[in-house]
Amino acid sequence: MFTFLKTALRGRVVTDSDPVHPLPVSSHFRGKPEHHSRQCIGCAACVQACPSNALSVETDLSAGLLVWTFNLGRCIFCARCEEVCPTAAIRLSPDYELAVWDKSALQQQAHFPLCYCRGCGQPFAVQKEVDYVMALIEKNGEDDIESRRETFETCLTCRRQNSLLSGGHLWAERSLKGIF
Amino acid sequence: MHNFITDRDAGRIPEPEESEACLQKLKSSLLRKLKRSAFVYRVDCGGCNGCEIEIFAALTPVFDAERLGIKIVPSPRHADILLFTGPVTRAMRAPALRAWDAAPDPKISISFGACGNSGGIFHDLYCVWGGTDKILPVDVYIPGCPPTPAATLYGFALALGLLEQKIQARPASQEDVLPPHVHHPLIAQSLRIRIERMARRLAGYRYGREISDAFMQKLLTGSGSVQQWLREEDDPRLTEIVGHLYGLVQGERER
Repeated sequence: MFTFLKTALRGRVVTDSDPVHPLPVSSHFRGKPEHHSRQCIGCAACVQACPSNALSVETDLSAGLLVWTFNLGRCIFCARCEEVCPTAAIRLSPDYELAVWDKSALQQQAHFPLCYCRGCGQPFAVQKEVDYVMALIEKNGEDDIESRRETFETCLTCRRQNSLLSGGHLWAERSLKGIF
Repeated sequence: MHNFITDRDAGRIPEPEESEACLQKLKSSLLRKLKRSAFVYRVDCGGCNGCEIEIFAALTPVFDAERLGIKIVPSPRHADILLFTGPVTRAMRAPALRAWDAAPDPKISISFGACGNSGGIFHDLYCVWGGTDKILPVDVYIPGCPPTPAATLYGFALALGLLEQKIQARPASQEDVLPPHVHHPLIAQSLRIRIERMARRLAGYRYGREISDAFMQKLLTGSGSVQQWLREEDDPRLTEIVGHLYGLVQGERER
């Protein structure tokens, strides 16, 4: 009895204050995905990769927006979105304290304006995506990229049409009619 | 006894149970006036058992949920808190409702894991309801696939009113339209992609990106910093991977 008391008194407190203070996690812990909407270009690669459809995009044509939505309640923390993101806009943070009273607190949204084709006026990509491609090409040594903005902001169908009708190849249009 | 055939909405989905206003009031006073442990009954609604494993891990001496007065009971008749795991399969809807009926009012229901919150990875299967809140009123949602024992304890602390909710919904903002930064702008795009691909092939998709990011950053600060980084880390596997990446860069320089 005496030995037991002595051991008990000599011991120290080893209990952590969890859950009042979060526990330290390993550096590769996959917690809440952090989306930096500034870094996001709206390419929807993460939506394609997400196995549980926690990520989704919808085109809102009336507002001219791409609506990006993330439902944390459905996320399985696999980090496939982090893998495919070309601009590292989505990263899994070590946050694990995600319980909520209200389900709507699990929703995240971002809006990206669409780019309308200079030729046909139809939306074909996200404006930020087109701008990012131009910035990348400029960084890789292309000069005066801004003067070719019109080409970048033209959809593939219109570009094909433009290249067909240019120069002295007008005869090609006659024989290719019905194909395009 | 519960009426299992309830009203259905336009999509032929049964409407979830509504909890009455007086019960809501009782529920809020339950936690304040509870002078004993909170008894938890776990209802498995057709999950993969990952959540169950983590719940039992939360009860082990390492995490020890019982120090907070959380005790798992074997019958819903003793329960204050009902813990629903799984995406609610067709076959498990009626047993879940029976457990809900058997628990005395006021009771708190917790939806546990990605499946319980919204159906998770099973959300579009033909045989699931897709979430606990499709059949019952839910008070606390704990996301995770499965939630770690620490996240489980935080969820319980939230349900017992000990801690505050930490995350909020994020609406669209002005920041969405600001131009993004280009990563490693001084390295040619094609080389950057080849470095990232090789790092991922050698180290796996998550570590690969970390290694390639660190490598490219160190490469630009000076040739000595890569060696210094490898010496500091002292990891033979990392040294081997970075050796391969360095070979890639050298090959590109010679061309």
